[in-house]
Amino acid sequence: MSLSPESDPQVFVVEPTAASRLPGDEARRIDADATAVEWRGQGRGVVHDDTGRATAALLGDDRPAGPGQPRTVEVVVGGWRFELEVEDARRADLRERARRNRGTIAGAGGPLEIHAMIPGRVVAVAVAPGDVVAAGQTLLVVEAMKMQNELRTPRDGTVERVAVGVGETIDLGDLLVVLG
Amino acid sequence: MRSRRASPEGEAASLRKDSETSFDPSEGPPFRRVLVANRGEIALRIIRACHELGAEAVAVYSDADASAAHVRAADAAVRLGPAPAAESYLRGDAIIDAARRQGAEAIHPGYGFLAERAAFAGAVEDAGLVFVGPTSASIAALGDKLAARRLARAAGVPVVPGTLEPAAVDRADAVEAILADADGVGFPLFVKASSGGGGRGMRRVTARDELPAALAAGSAEALAAFGDGAVYLEREVRPARHVEVQLLGDAAGTIVAVGERDCSIQRRHQKLVEESPAPGLSETERRELHDFAVRVARAAELRNAATAEFLLDGDRRFWFLEVNTRIQVEHGVTELTSGIDLVREQLLIAAGRPLSQATLDAAERAAGPGRHAIEVRLSAEDPARSFAAVAGRVGRWLMPDGPGVRVDTAIEAGDRVPPDYDSLIAKVLVVDVDRAAAIVRLARVLDEVEVTGIQTTLPFQRFVAAHPGFRAAELSTDWVAEHWDPEVAADRGAALEIATRVAVAVAAGGEASGASGQASGARTSAGPKTRPSSPGAIERGDGSSGWLRAAREDDVDRWPQG
Repeated sequence: MSLSPESDPQVFVVEPTAASRLPGDEARRIDADATAVEWRGQGRGVVHDDTGRATAALLGDDRPAGPGQPRTVEVVVGGWRFELEVEDARRADLRERARRNRGTIAGAGGPLEIHAMIPGRVVAVAVAPGDVVAAGQTLLVVEAMKMQNELRTPRDGTVERVAVGVGETIDLGDLLVVLG
Repeated sequence: MRSRRASPEGEAASLRKDSETSFDPSEGPPFRRVLVANRGEIALRIIRACHELGAEAVAVYSDADASAAHVRAADAAVRLGPAPAAESYLRGDAIIDAARRQGAEAIHPGYGFLAERAAFAGAVEDAGLVFVGPTSASIAALGDKLAARRLARAAGVPVVPGTLEPAAVDRADAVEAILADADGVGFPLFVKASSGGGGRGMRRVTARDELPAALAAGSAEALAAFGDGAVYLEREVRPARHVEVQLLGDAAGTIVAVGERDCSIQRRHQKLVEESPAPGLSETERRELHDFAVRVARAAELRNAATAEFLLDGDRRFWFLEVNTRIQVEHGVTELTSGIDLVREQLLIAAGRPLSQATLDAAERAAGPGRHAIEVRLSAEDPARSFAAVAGRVGRWLMPDGPGVRVDTAIEAGDRVPPDYDSLIAKVLVVDVDRAAAIVRLARVLDEVEVTGIQTTLPFQRFVAAHPGFRAAELSTDWVAEHWDPEVAADRGAALEIATRVAVAVAAGGEASGASGQASGARTSAGPKTRPSSPGAIERGDGSSGWLRAAREDDVDRWPQG
C-alpha cells in the first residue's frame, strides 16, 4: 500500500517519547514511501516484508495536528507498546538547529529534574533541600504494587527541591526531586 | 494420592456419595450469602462460583474499585475505604462487620490480602461466620513458614536445608550465632520472611559480609508487608524447578492431592507461567511428591484448599518449601486438567460437606491426567524494565477465545489499573490433549491478545511460547535470567523497528484506531482474515486512555485508499 497520490514523498523523524524511551533508542529518519502497512480496520495494521502485526492509535492532543506538526502515535507490536513522536524531517531539522543555538546557555551543569519512572506511593524521603548527594545515593523510596523501590540520584549534586512528601501518591512522570 | 484419618464417619460419608457430579443441587446451596473479601479477577471468580451454587455474593471495594467488575457482578457491595489496601481490603474488622450487616454466612478471602492471616480467620470464626479456607489453627501452623518447616520435617518430608527458628535480628549479641548458622547452611542462601510470600522480605546472600544488611532489609520489608519481621535462613537450591501440589481436605479428615503444577518460570519469585501436570515426572516421582504433600497436610490437619510447594533439584530430589493455605492464582490449570472446580469445592467443604466420590475419583485421575494446561499471567509490567509495574489506563482490551481457552480477568477496555494493588490484569489459560498441543494453542492464543494504553508482560509470554527450550520442557527457576534477559533488547528492538514504520504510515496519512469507527469499517481489507470489529474494544472516547477522538473527517479523508 502506498500513500495517497496527492501526498509528496516525505521523510519523517521518529523517536520514542520520554515515557517510552529506553537507553539505546534513537531518533530515526524514515521515508514514508518505504513503509508498507496494510490496514485491517480499527487501527490494526500488518507490516509487509515482516511477520509484524501492529495496532496503532494516536495519542496526545484531542485536536488533529496541523500539517507538519509532530504527532504522537501509540503503536503496539507483539505486545510491545511504544509511544512514538513523528515529525516531518524538514521541520525537525529546523527545530534541532534552533535548539542547538540555545543549547549552550543551559549546559550540562544545569539543574536536573528527576521524574517518577513508576507510579506509586512515596514511603520514605531520604534527602532535604540543601543536602549534598553523591551518584547512587538513595533519594526516596516509592512503593508500587507492594514492592519498595529505591530511587537513586544518577549524578552528584545538591538537592534544590523535594517536590513530594511521605504518603503522597505519584503518577508516572511526576516531578520528584530537583538536583542543582 | 489420598489419605484418611481413622474416621469411620468420614469413610462412610465419602462412600455413600455416588453422584456423577461433585455438586448435587438437590442438597441446596452451601450458603445463602457469601462475602467475597477481595478484588479483581479472583473476586469475580468466587462470585461466579457462588452464583453457580445458588448462593448470593456480597462484594467489598475500595474507592479505586467503586465501578469494578466484581462490584457489578455481586448481589450487594460494601465500600471499605480509600484505595490503599491497609485502609480497605486489609481492614478485617470492616469486612466482618460488612458480612454481619449484609447477612453473609461465610467469607471467602481469595488470595493475597487477608487470605493467610490466621488472626483474621480466627476473628471470622469468633464472629460466628465461616471462613472459606483452612481453620485459623492450620493457617497459623502452615502460614508461619518456620513452623511449617518444623512440621514437615517431623512428618518425614525433606525440607530445604536452613534454620528452623527465627534469626534474632534485633540483638547485636546474636550476630555471631547467626553467622555461624549461615556457615552451617552454606552460601549462597536466602533470608526469608517467616510470614512471607511473593518474594517480599526475601534477600539473596552470596557471602558472609552481606548477611547483616540482608537480614535487616528483609526483616524491615517483612515487617512493613506482613506486620511480622521474623526471618530465617534457607539454602539456595539451584538449579531447581518449582513444583507444587494442589490439596483438598474436608471436615471428615479426608485429604487428597489433585495433581501438581510446575511454576518454574518466575521473575523475582513471582510466577509468570504455570502448567499442569509438571512435565517429565515419572509416575513414581509424581506419587512420591503427592505423598509428601499429603503428609504435611495431614500433620497440619488441613481442611479446604491449600498448596504444598517444593523444589525439584538437579538430582531429581524434592525439597519442601512451604504450604500456601489459600486458593492459588494458578489454580485454574489444575481445574482444566482435573475437571474439579476448586472454588466450588472450597465453598462446599466450608459448609461441612464431605468431598464427593466424583471429586475423589477426579483427584485420583489427576495423578496421571490425559490433558495438559498452561497459564500465563498477564501483568501490567514492563518486561524491558525488569518487569517494573506500570499502572495506567487500558485502551483497547481484546482477550483470546476459541477452543481450549479460559481467561480470568476483571479488566475491560478503558479501565484504570490502580497502582495500589497487584499488577496482575488477566490470567490466560489453555488446555489440550498434551503439552506440545497446549503450547501450540498458547502461541495461537497469545497472538489474539491486544492490549493498548499500558505495557504488559505479553512480549515475554509470546517469547516463552515460541522458545525451543520451553517446548522441550527445559524448565528452571533461572529460565528468565538465562533465556529472556539476553534476548529482551533484541525482541523489543525488532518490534520497535516495525512500530516506527507503522508510526510513519499513520503520520503520513494512514490509519489510527481512534480514528476508526465506521470509516475504517467501510474500508475494504485487502486480506481475507479481517477480524470482526468489536465496538467494545474502542475506548469510550474521553481521550484519557490514549485512544483519541482522532476520528476527524479531515483525518479520515487523508487515509490512503485501497
